[in-house]
Amino acid sequence: MWSRTFAGLLLGLLISISVVLNLNLLLPIKEDTMLLIGLLCAFPIWVGIQVWAYSFTSAKKAWLKLTIVLAPSALLNLLLLSLR
Amino acid sequence: MKRDALKSLTNAHAWVGLIISTILFIIFFAGSLSLFREDIISWERDPYFTVSDDIENFSFDALISQVTKDYKVHTHGYFILQRPTAEQPSSNIYFEEEIVTQGNLDGEQDSQLEAMADDHIDKHLVISPDGKILGDGNGFEWGNFLYQLHYNLHIPEVGLYFVGVVTLFFFVALLSGVVIHWRKIISKFFQYRKDGKKDKLLDTHNLIGVMGLPFHIMYAFSGLVFNLLIVYQISYAVVLYGGDQAKLFKAAGVVDVHIEETNIAVPVQGIDKLYLTAKESLGEVAITRISIDHFGDESASVTFRGDDKSQFSTRKEVTYHIASGRELYLTKNNYDNDIRGGLAVIASLHFGDFAGYSLRILFFVLGIGTCYIILTGNLMWLQKRVSLRSEKQNKFGIQLVKAMTTGGFIGTIFATAVGFICARLLPVDLLDRSDLIGQIFFACLVASLVLSLAIKAQQQFAKIFLKVTAIALALIPVLDWLMLPQKIIVMFKVGHFDVLIVEVMLLSLALCCWLVSSKLFSSVERAADEQPISHNDFIDSPIAEASVIS
Repeated sequence: MWSRTFAGLLLGLLISISVVLNLNLLLPIKEDTMLLIGLLCAFPIWVGIQVWAYSFTSAKKAWLKLTIVLAPSALLNLLLLSLR
Repeated sequence: MKRDALKSLTNAHAWVGLIISTILFIIFFAGSLSLFREDIISWERDPYFTVSDDIENFSFDALISQVTKDYKVHTHGYFILQRPTAEQPSSNIYFEEEIVTQGNLDGEQDSQLEAMADDHIDKHLVISPDGKILGDGNGFEWGNFLYQLHYNLHIPEVGLYFVGVVTLFFFVALLSGVVIHWRKIISKFFQYRKDGKKDKLLDTHNLIGVMGLPFHIMYAFSGLVFNLLIVYQISYAVVLYGGDQAKLFKAAGVVDVHIEETNIAVPVQGIDKLYLTAKESLGEVAITRISIDHFGDESASVTFRGDDKSQFSTRKEVTYHIASGRELYLTKNNYDNDIRGGLAVIASLHFGDFAGYSLRILFFVLGIGTCYIILTGNLMWLQKRVSLRSEKQNKFGIQLVKAMTTGGFIGTIFATAVGFICARLLPVDLLDRSDLIGQIFFACLVASLVLSLAIKAQQQFAKIFLKVTAIALALIPVLDWLMLPQKIIVMFKVGHFDVLIVEVMLLSLALCCWLVSSKLFSSVERAADEQPISHNDFIDSPIAEASVIS
């Protein structure tokens, strides 16, 4: 249980940061509105990922699946930041 | 959802709920009481200070002159004048007072105090409706103690984030609970099998959980925003703004009207005139807060702030340079910034400050209901664990959870009742009165936990302890009327009913404690005495499944 907890906590946090950063970098909305949208989305994403991590039958599966979700989002972050 | 995934999630729901239960109970219980924080502060303090029902109308300049004559106000600290509101009938001044070096100290002490030249003590003065200083308000902090317990458990530095992490797991328990219960969320919406003893706890848990779901989600989310926002703040600042936090703050609507200090001393005067100007600029808004930066310096500025009650969660604010009267900043619409406006809305929802007492009573009931959900969660876990075969039981684990439930949950309510009693009984001029009440609270809580760990007959102990707590809670109104009847009547006569509101709240809690002791623990006792639950019964209950797996 602890391993799945840490998988959700760490990767959930990273996924939520990565996704809201992508939203910030992609959507053509004014800055303060964007920050608010990011704030409203970030915590539910983190919590959703944590719940998803708990739904796996093994910790290994949880780490693997969450990493698979994080990787493309993080790559998109890098791409968008380099194009900025 | 696959059966294995649902099983894992059910297991996690019980595990997460159990781990955070005691802390979450404290957070929710203290938070529910904090909805009436201003009333609790008035309950404790105002019987000693209420003098008349005159409408507040006094000279700020004269009051500030009096304060600067009596105290050495710290220039680099805060200076806030809180004006009366519907919930807080008196004016209060909060500021930092410089620690003055005594001439008769020896050299070493003198140099130590010089090294602490920037040191200060926090002052709080209560002001009469005609602008006179009535006395020191520092000794009446019980309401603020409970509020601080709610948001950081009085743990310095990291308490805020610790509560944030617990809130995160509360949100996780909430969401996982919804997923687990999803199949039955409509069909069994009102299910409450009052005759089936072993289903009663589960049905109560689900019923209050589903009924209060929007409230729970709002509290989990807004609590996270208050306590863990820093995580995203840092990531935004680092990635989007290249590490420049000032840029992020600017984008988030933080307006910096800071003027560099000149170190030229200028008395703070002209606030009355600026107050009239501010009223004209802000329009129909009751100014409830006046704050001064760089008090006594030529660069000093004053900010007038008020909430526009005609609109939802809208704050108006204007800042002036005191010496010149120049307007530095004016906002009539939450700083014209979506994130500031959004945060103001989240704060209003969390504090329930937009619909008077009726909304706060509703939030209070739901908050205490959440405490009951946490309690039933733990009791279900215990019930199922106890019904397992003895070789599968973890005796220490069961005893620990029992102690957490009895000592932690009932102990928190008992410690709060003792805190209220001390707040009424201790002399008002006692040195460090508020600190002492806080220490007594924690001593009671720790003693309850230790006692619960030591006692074997938990059911009996819980029943008696809850009844003792109920009596302690009911004793508080009695003490009020025995000690301060005339003063409370004076408060009533001038239209301040805070004492009554707090007394009703405490009596309601006393009644809840008595009922839970009489009904719930008796039924739990009876259920434990029944035959062990069959496998078929067991598999029907998600929590039961969880306890088997874990």
